[in-house]
Amino acid sequence: MPADEASTLSPPTTWVDTYGDYLYGFAFYRVQDEELARELVQETLMAALKAKDSFAGRGSEKTWLTGILKHKIIDSLRRKYRDAMFEDQDLDERKIHDSFDHNGRWKTGPAQWASNPEHLLEQKAFLDIIRKCLHELPERSAHALSLRELEGESTQTICKVLNVTATNCWVILHRARFLMRECIETNWLQ
Amino acid sequence: MSEMISRSMDEKMPLRIRMGIRFHLMMCSLCRNYKKQLWIIHRAVEKLDRMENFHDKPMRLPDQVREKLKDLFKDHE
Repeated sequence: MPADEASTLSPPTTWVDTYGDYLYGFAFYRVQDEELARELVQETLMAALKAKDSFAGRGSEKTWLTGILKHKIIDSLRRKYRDAMFEDQDLDERKIHDSFDHNGRWKTGPAQWASNPEHLLEQKAFLDIIRKCLHELPERSAHALSLRELEGESTQTICKVLNVTATNCWVILHRARFLMRECIETNWLQ
Repeated sequence: MSEMISRSMDEKMPLRIRMGIRFHLMMCSLCRNYKKQLWIIHRAVEKLDRMENFHDKPMRLPDQVREKLKDLFKDHE
């Protein structure tokens, strides 16, 4: 029987060196804020330390730590949006409306980015633009998008986390995608 | 329409609306491009995650934070 490395945890003092940078990146990608990401990593590793006896050995410790981090991210976002009064900049429909004429048709419509989308996803330059555009989104839009696209959370859950109505939730997601696509097209096709 | 295309990615719309979107897409190449772009964005965002390509620079937890955590862990052993 092969040695089962997943059944016992490695010593916690090794977690920082083994997983610290990965968890930091994982958190940053979702919250788009370095300072918050650092706090989340610390919270996660401290929580993991306290909970290490509950690690059942199913799956890797990386997955286990990532799972704790995901919960910490959601809790943190929930706290943030519960207390804050948010400017409705990401509900501002003006930019989107400007893209359509009075008949509701695209003024300058979305172009074809590539004849072969799969090939597009292989290109570093394109992926760099995706990452850059994600970073440039209004904060709440970025959070909505990462919850939806990366974590696959339902709109119901996202509404609750962002503390908005269902309608505003869809608008936030719609606008996030709209802004992303505009940013990408501008950068990619120039 | 663009809002409905976006929303259809997040939840199952009533059949009538889905048919309306599909019919519109048959006739509107710009909206077809739009929908394809949203799909590409979804794939790309996921791919960056899988590749652990999280930032334009390598993500490194600052030494200060690393040492602080290691110290806290030592106290717990």
